[in-house]
Amino acid sequence: MMKLSILAAVSTLSLLSAPVLAAEKSELVLAIGGEPDTGYDPLLGWGRYGHPLFQSTLLSRDADLATKSDLATAWALSDDKLTWTISIREGVTFSDGTPLTARDVAFTFTKAATAGGAIDLHAMVSAEATDDRTVVIRLKQPWITFTENFYSLGIVPEATYGADYARNPVGSGPYRLVSWRQGEQLIVEANPNYYGEKSPFSRLTFLFTGEDTSLAAANAGQVDMVSVPAALADAVPAGFSTVVVDTVDNRGIHFPMAPDEGKKDAKGNAIGNNVTADVAIRRAVNIGIDRQKIVDTALLGHGTPAYGPADGLPWSNPQAAVTFDLDAARRLLDEAGWVPGADGIREKNGLRAAFRIHYPASDSTRQAIAMVLAELLKPLGIEGTPNGTTWEGIERVMHSEPVAFGWGSQSPLEVYSLYQSGWGGVDYYNPGFFSNAAVDGYFEAAQRASSLEASYPEWQKAEWDGATGFSTKGEAGWAWLVNLDHVYFANKCLDVGKTQIEPHGHGWPITAGIQGWTWTCN
Amino acid sequence: MGSWTAFVLVRLVRLALVLAGVAAVAFLLAKFSPVDPIDAYLGPDIARVGPEQRALIAEKWGLDQPAGVQFVKWFSRILTGDLGWSVTYNAPVADVISERFRSSVVLMGLAWVFSGVIGFSLGIWAGARPGSWSDRVIRLYAYILAATPTFWIAILLLIVFSVGLRWTPVCCAAPIGLLPEDVTLLQRLHHLLLPLVGLSILGIAQIALHTRVKMIEIMQSDFVLYARAQGGTTLDIILHHGVRNTALPAITVLFASLGELFGGSILAETVFSYPGLGSATIEAGIRGDVPLLLAITLMTTLFVSVGNTIADVLYHVADPRISSASETWRGVAE
Repeated sequence: MMKLSILAAVSTLSLLSAPVLAAEKSELVLAIGGEPDTGYDPLLGWGRYGHPLFQSTLLSRDADLATKSDLATAWALSDDKLTWTISIREGVTFSDGTPLTARDVAFTFTKAATAGGAIDLHAMVSAEATDDRTVVIRLKQPWITFTENFYSLGIVPEATYGADYARNPVGSGPYRLVSWRQGEQLIVEANPNYYGEKSPFSRLTFLFTGEDTSLAAANAGQVDMVSVPAALADAVPAGFSTVVVDTVDNRGIHFPMAPDEGKKDAKGNAIGNNVTADVAIRRAVNIGIDRQKIVDTALLGHGTPAYGPADGLPWSNPQAAVTFDLDAARRLLDEAGWVPGADGIREKNGLRAAFRIHYPASDSTRQAIAMVLAELLKPLGIEGTPNGTTWEGIERVMHSEPVAFGWGSQSPLEVYSLYQSGWGGVDYYNPGFFSNAAVDGYFEAAQRASSLEASYPEWQKAEWDGATGFSTKGEAGWAWLVNLDHVYFANKCLDVGKTQIEPHGHGWPITAGIQGWTWTCN
Repeated sequence: MGSWTAFVLVRLVRLALVLAGVAAVAFLLAKFSPVDPIDAYLGPDIARVGPEQRALIAEKWGLDQPAGVQFVKWFSRILTGDLGWSVTYNAPVADVISERFRSSVVLMGLAWVFSGVIGFSLGIWAGARPGSWSDRVIRLYAYILAATPTFWIAILLLIVFSVGLRWTPVCCAAPIGLLPEDVTLLQRLHHLLLPLVGLSILGIAQIALHTRVKMIEIMQSDFVLYARAQGGTTLDIILHHGVRNTALPAITVLFASLGELFGGSILAETVFSYPGLGSATIEAGIRGDVPLLLAITLMTTLFVSVGNTIADVLYHVADPRISSASETWRGVAE
């Protein structure tokens, strides 16, 4: 009797929690992660990728990453490349009804420079509003990648911005915050004051559950979209279809460029590696491995071969890709004087063509990549030894031995950080001390360009200009291996349209096009 | 009266020393940990933030000072009641903890009471008739569960009850898409159900096994034999002799399990996305958020120490022989 009544009570409860079916679908439940622990404050970095939802930015990008006007109606860089003059859209109000003026934009940039968050505005001297509609931003030096902030820094209201802003964001974006239970869910509603195109979904719930729980929620039919790790991408729940998004979420190994001359960095860690210092070795690794095999084996097919740090982005050079050619790679090594030894591993002047490939032991994907890579190096006569370690362990060896790193950003600044000689050995940037005068020159020219679009050819030349570059055909500072696919399960009725090439980080970036999503069923 | 004042004073001094010691050790461990808080904070955005910005962040967070200075600053603030600022949550540590604790305390408190009451009852039931069918079933249940990790049980519960049968929600402390002010008590309990069961199940096994062993011992004692000779039924014997005598090990295990309860709640909360103290602890740990991690560590220490003190007091209530023994001892010492 007792048991029966418990059963009855439980089933009544489950009825209470059943989702209420609306006549027209105006609400979405998304389990795609991306919860910012620090809250929704753009000054601390909220909105760096994906959509900031609550705030709007000066510029935005469409699905092809082409620039679109947003809050800014006109933007111009002075001839000396030091001053941006930006006109602000008229008639924009924040979700609390107060008008958005150039002063709010100037305040946002000025305040963000000193906020100490994940937004770096050190290139900026000042941001001033010359009138209600015009902002003037001055730079210390020509620095075209500063425009990145125009796409990612959400504008906050000067009048009400304060310590509790991150939990009560007020902005001019398409949605406003209704409720946020940290670690659990975020509920947002359409902002009635929004100036842009209105989304058909007036209410969104973001569920911040772990991967397993999110998938369970999808199986129980309680969410409309869920981000799934590649390993689980084949178990599609009923009523869902798979959305596979191309990414620059890349994995590759870097090569220490200098020979080992006993030099040490500030922490006493060795710099240089005599094997990888030989460009023949670096090129042979790049040409002589079948990247598709790594995709098929380590990623179970959920990825694409990678040839550079920004494949497919407008600033990457498609000419830099190489085709897999084992014989050509072998010839390259033969010509450079690397002769196969008794055990099949090549040697040159008593030096074995061998290096370790380090990976963070906590990352099973990188482990698999390192293992497969080591196998693929054997036919070349190169011995790669995978070694799982901690990030601390990696920091000790990353100037002298290859490491399986992962990068991927929608800003060319990342390319700069990875290959600019001045950044050699600074934290994780340019760990192999890559240094090439021509590449540095192109970077300099890119940063001095008159617009972001005008800088693209310079970035492309830095990768490969026909004679040299940081890519495989040139100096081959890295062997980029794969780009991971980002897999989502979406309700069959939900159409997310064309998606952007996503950066490192799986989940929230899909929201970049959220205003164009539609429901295709009735 | 005098002995009680002394007891409380001694306990308080001891507690203060334990807390100070734990604070120092925990701080050292956090500083020696390979986690770099700024790297953890920036995550994949590392390449978009230059060295100057990193220096600015370090300065804002006070990480540019030597560890000793950081500890002294933190400790002196603690003494004034200021727990510091959590960089992970961009909020005062005291706020984070009090908010999280409110969700956790119900979950952990109920799980603790259930595991105590149910575990104790099962233990007595099993121990009263060792070797019987009921004893075998209870023992099997307890052995299996004692060897089962919480997260596994939690995922299993989720698959069976939430995904398969759809009786319980898959996550969270309230229904998906509902505003906090619209959530009813019934819905809250409904969402609490599965994490609570997951967390209670494990505590039950421990306490049941300990109580059972003690109960078997008691059932073979002379005074139970004597009671039987006087015509007492098994129920009489359990109520009058069993409960009080088996209470001691049960109380010990129950209060000692407070620490485990914290650990278990971390896993259960993670699986069910129940935003309690557990998930905050994980974040604080992997992100190197030292003020938050230390505050939680200190709170757990306080929790377990107070729990042990209560257990000590309860010994005296459950078994007056302990009080009289210590008084006799004191008399001898004087």
